[in-house]
Amino acid sequence: MLAILAWRNVWRHRGRSAVVIGAMVVGIWSLTFGGAFMNSFLLSYIQTAIRHEVSNGQIHHPEFTQDFDIKFTIDKPQRIVSFLKENENVVAVARRRVVNGMIASTRQATGVKIVGVEPNEEARVTELDSLVAEGAYFEGISRNPVLLGKRLSEKLKVNVRSKVVLTFQDIDGNITAGSFRVAGILDASSTVIDEGSAFVVREDLNRLLGIEDGVHEIAYTTAPGTEDDLLAAEIQAAFPGEMVRSWRELAPLLLFMEQWMGAVLQVLILIIMLALAFGIINTMLMAVLERVREVGVMIALGTRRSRVFLMIMIETLLLSTVGGPFGLLAGYATISWLGSRGIDLSDYSEGLKSIGYESVLYPQLFLSDYLTIVAGVLITAFLASLYPAWKAIRMQPVEAIRGV
Amino acid sequence: MAALIRATNISKVYHKTAVPVHAINNLSVDIAEGEFTAIVGPSGCGKTTLLNILGGLDYPTSGTVTINGIDISGMKDSELIDFRLHNIGFVFQAYNLIPVLTALENVEFIMLLQKRSRKERLARARELLEEMNIADKADHRPGQLSGGQQQRVAVARALASNPRFILADEPTANLDSVSTENLLDLMARINREQNATFIFSTHDQRVMDKARRLIRLVDGAIVSDEVRS
Repeated sequence: MLAILAWRNVWRHRGRSAVVIGAMVVGIWSLTFGGAFMNSFLLSYIQTAIRHEVSNGQIHHPEFTQDFDIKFTIDKPQRIVSFLKENENVVAVARRRVVNGMIASTRQATGVKIVGVEPNEEARVTELDSLVAEGAYFEGISRNPVLLGKRLSEKLKVNVRSKVVLTFQDIDGNITAGSFRVAGILDASSTVIDEGSAFVVREDLNRLLGIEDGVHEIAYTTAPGTEDDLLAAEIQAAFPGEMVRSWRELAPLLLFMEQWMGAVLQVLILIIMLALAFGIINTMLMAVLERVREVGVMIALGTRRSRVFLMIMIETLLLSTVGGPFGLLAGYATISWLGSRGIDLSDYSEGLKSIGYESVLYPQLFLSDYLTIVAGVLITAFLASLYPAWKAIRMQPVEAIRGV
Repeated sequence: MAALIRATNISKVYHKTAVPVHAINNLSVDIAEGEFTAIVGPSGCGKTTLLNILGGLDYPTSGTVTINGIDISGMKDSELIDFRLHNIGFVFQAYNLIPVLTALENVEFIMLLQKRSRKERLARARELLEEMNIADKADHRPGQLSGGQQQRVAVARALASNPRFILADEPTANLDSVSTENLLDLMARINREQNATFIFSTHDQRVMDKARRLIRLVDGAIVSDEVRS
């Protein structure tokens, strides 16, 4: 009967309860949508970085990552490539030769990471071809084509078909240089691609390095839903002599951002629920204080204070949570609708791209996020019920009956 | 006859103002089972305070109160709550029914606290409402009942717990004369037929006329104790 009593008490002042329930619905809706919108930003950043920059995983010689010495190549890369291609979770594989060097135009020179790629493989893994804003993807230049990021090209003051010189150490430790011509300029949100990389054909690079073959880096992409960490561990187990890392290890910033998504939601919950908690406490305090006599009579008749406490708690929980399903449903509907259509922010695309985001964002909320929100609401309701319930049980029946 | 309620040298002093207020002064009284007693006196004479102390709603500043030989004046708050639940029925001046419960549920409520089965609760609650001639209002909430009807539900509620005695603090103060008459007849009949003990505090001459014992208080002390045949 305590629950019935609590439920009826909730509806005693319909208008007042409706305001609190409405506030909870709006609060929970804004939490779900706000969380999903934040997720869309962060996921966009992470997915862009994975797609165009780090891929889902990379394989290197263990010592290559320490000092980028060109002698640390992957042992028998073809067997790894074959292994990866046989794995149903792996969608595409790209082999790379990577050296650090200098790039110089007639106007400027700067340090750069020179990445020797197989154009077809690279297009499948990093979709590098899709980033070409000017010129063509390794085409239109008969000898030594190079792709540069937009910022790097601006820094060097070069255009498509301009000549640049790449300088680096060859296999014997001698400084060698090659003349390249800009085939295309890339428009990438990643600063690594935009400012710090020069993409050349691997074969051209090998020729200048004075070696026939050799792979420093194997990058692979995986099918959606693949557990990248587990896959990396599986590859690592098959090739213990190499270093296999998933994107989380390769780019700790992305991992941090992934974890940050959860933290952002928790902070949002804290802020919104804190505001709602005061509304709930206020309403319940009013409800308790205007029922001084009634609560006093209940205690006088023989209701234990613990039961009165429980009754007020149930009442507060009902008041706080009855709107929950509606808020969650409204949030889910909004997220589903916008999640399939996307939020078009192309008006701000320049600014967004410059910091690594796509111009269309897709709000997304995970099951764990919904559960976090539900837990947040329940904890808030529980905490908000304590003070009014405590206030109720402090009443002395004599004073309560006489006092009103 | 052995005393059901025995108050011995009880005093109650309130310190809420600069000058202490002596509401009850060294008062002793015995009340036996089956009595139909009215405590009367002018406003501020200590009637309600005495009733509250006898009912375990308040503690005396000094002295003891025993009910059926059990000293309740030293009980802890939680013990007193349980004691009241099983031993004392209350009828208040303002009825004080729980407004969100129906008449039947209000009567049932106290039996629920006593952890009696649903079947037993419903049967007893219906029987009591029948006895109070308001069975047809069982599904009505207090707001849908007249003052007299509400007070009858309150009496049914007080009886529902099978208490040793019922304390009624000015039960007729808010009732019209017909309702007062009906309520008093009802309580007098229950007293007669079930040997239920009733103790009233009242100003109402009609209650005084029905009472079989009249304890008159002035300034927190008994000035007369009249037993009628």
